[in-house]
Amino acid sequence: MLGAEDFINDTIEDTKSKITGKAIIACSGGVDSMVAAALVQKAIGDRLLAVYVDNGLMRKGETEEVEAMFKSMGFNYVIEDASEEFFTALKSVTDPEAKRKIIGEKFIRVFERRAKEYGAEFLIQGTIAPDWIESGDGVRDTIKSHHNVGGLPKEMGMSLYEPLRDLYKDEVRDLARMLNVAASERQPFPGPALAVRCLGEVTPENIEIVREACYIVEDEIKKAADAGKMDLPWQYFAVLLPSKSVGVQGDRRAYGRTIAIRAVSSIDGMTATYSRIPLDVLDAISQRITNTMKQSVNRVVYDITNKPPATIEWE
Amino acid sequence: MKVYVIDNGSQWTHREWRVLRYLKVDTKIVPNTTPFDELKDLDGLVLSGGAPNVATEAAAMGNNGEYLDKADFPILGVCAGMQFLCEHFGGTLGPGSTPEFGAVPLKVDDHDDLFKGLPDEFTVWASHNDEVKAVPEGFDVIAHSDSCPNEAVRCRDRPIWGVQFHPEVENTEHGVEIFQNFLRIIEDHDY
Repeated sequence: MLGAEDFINDTIEDTKSKITGKAIIACSGGVDSMVAAALVQKAIGDRLLAVYVDNGLMRKGETEEVEAMFKSMGFNYVIEDASEEFFTALKSVTDPEAKRKIIGEKFIRVFERRAKEYGAEFLIQGTIAPDWIESGDGVRDTIKSHHNVGGLPKEMGMSLYEPLRDLYKDEVRDLARMLNVAASERQPFPGPALAVRCLGEVTPENIEIVREACYIVEDEIKKAADAGKMDLPWQYFAVLLPSKSVGVQGDRRAYGRTIAIRAVSSIDGMTATYSRIPLDVLDAISQRITNTMKQSVNRVVYDITNKPPATIEWE
Repeated sequence: MKVYVIDNGSQWTHREWRVLRYLKVDTKIVPNTTPFDELKDLDGLVLSGGAPNVATEAAAMGNNGEYLDKADFPILGVCAGMQFLCEHFGGTLGPGSTPEFGAVPLKVDDHDDLFKGLPDEFTVWASHNDEVKAVPEGFDVIAHSDSCPNEAVRCRDRPIWGVQFHPEVENTEHGVEIFQNFLRIIEDHDY
């Protein structure tokens, strides 16, 4: 990143001057919010509380992994299980923008409660450029409302501080490496989490299907990359489609769900090409999903669209 | 050197700003409602793309017309920015016969300035529904593709260029060099 050292020093100074009292940071454990937390912690120390919300939509083992990172970074943190609240609010909702706005609003309500308890006047977020660009504004079309921008309610009892607003992911990763932030190489994961990888209604059952499929895609691709068969893509995951199709399992008719595999290369998330995954790796993913998840999934497809005209996530 | 980016609402306006910043240019994104008087000391201007259908939503393009009429410094219009400047000077627009999203093989017809030192053919990324159907009088086409006859234009007697594709995105080959060439044009510009 151009001028990374200056950026770090300027941000710490700016934070010191603006945040005089206490602050909380919305911290998912992704590289953006982890870097923002590390920078602000350097400026205000334990006056910062990192809040991680388990919304019931996170990946397999994610909450534990994030907690371990918080500990290794020495953050003052709290983990709140709000999964019931999120599932209740998402009941019968299928429109992608409605999902994103509901999730954004639920997040803020949790942060408001925590801020009040902690006596914080500031909410810090790891918002980066694509988040506000794609969320739209007076002149820009809304491509998708990122939970940390388009999902923010108009009335909020805290001041917002977003030190990474003008950066892209590749730049944030450079900072993460300089600051020794554990999340530096984690793949991007959307704020609304698995809800936008579950097309149609977000139920605990559907989330469980896509969570397991995402785990298999990640695990097989990591194994293939470790074996030197391919480079790790920028982002790689599974999407649960709302339609059903016919199959045959052990001479019996099956009528089940479809998983789409998505893997892309990108530098900044603003343009992307689908990854040329070796066929034997795709084969391993497909077989493992259809064999181990036979109750729910009987078909696997691979998404071969670039951004534009598609986006990286499906919703 | 001071080169600002006029924000017409593109997904990639901020990418143009990033490329210019990395080229150590004094740059800023400004809304297209900014009066020309506030921009008259610039050395150059980039008109970003945007979601508006330029032919039918002229109001959404703000003061772009004023900048094109009054500026004596070089201007580069990108995507909707190019469409707007072509229509402004008498060209015509319409829906692309083959809309282009993603990779497009660009064929350069003229290497004099914007494409100086670049290959005859390379891959650029585009994202547009409409295109320039007829370029204005006094403009030359300096690049095309199989799916879009007018990928880049230059005005003969004023320092104005337009590109239909997006040199600012990572996937466009030689994108940074196109910006460097534009900056060289600005440096060499004789007022």
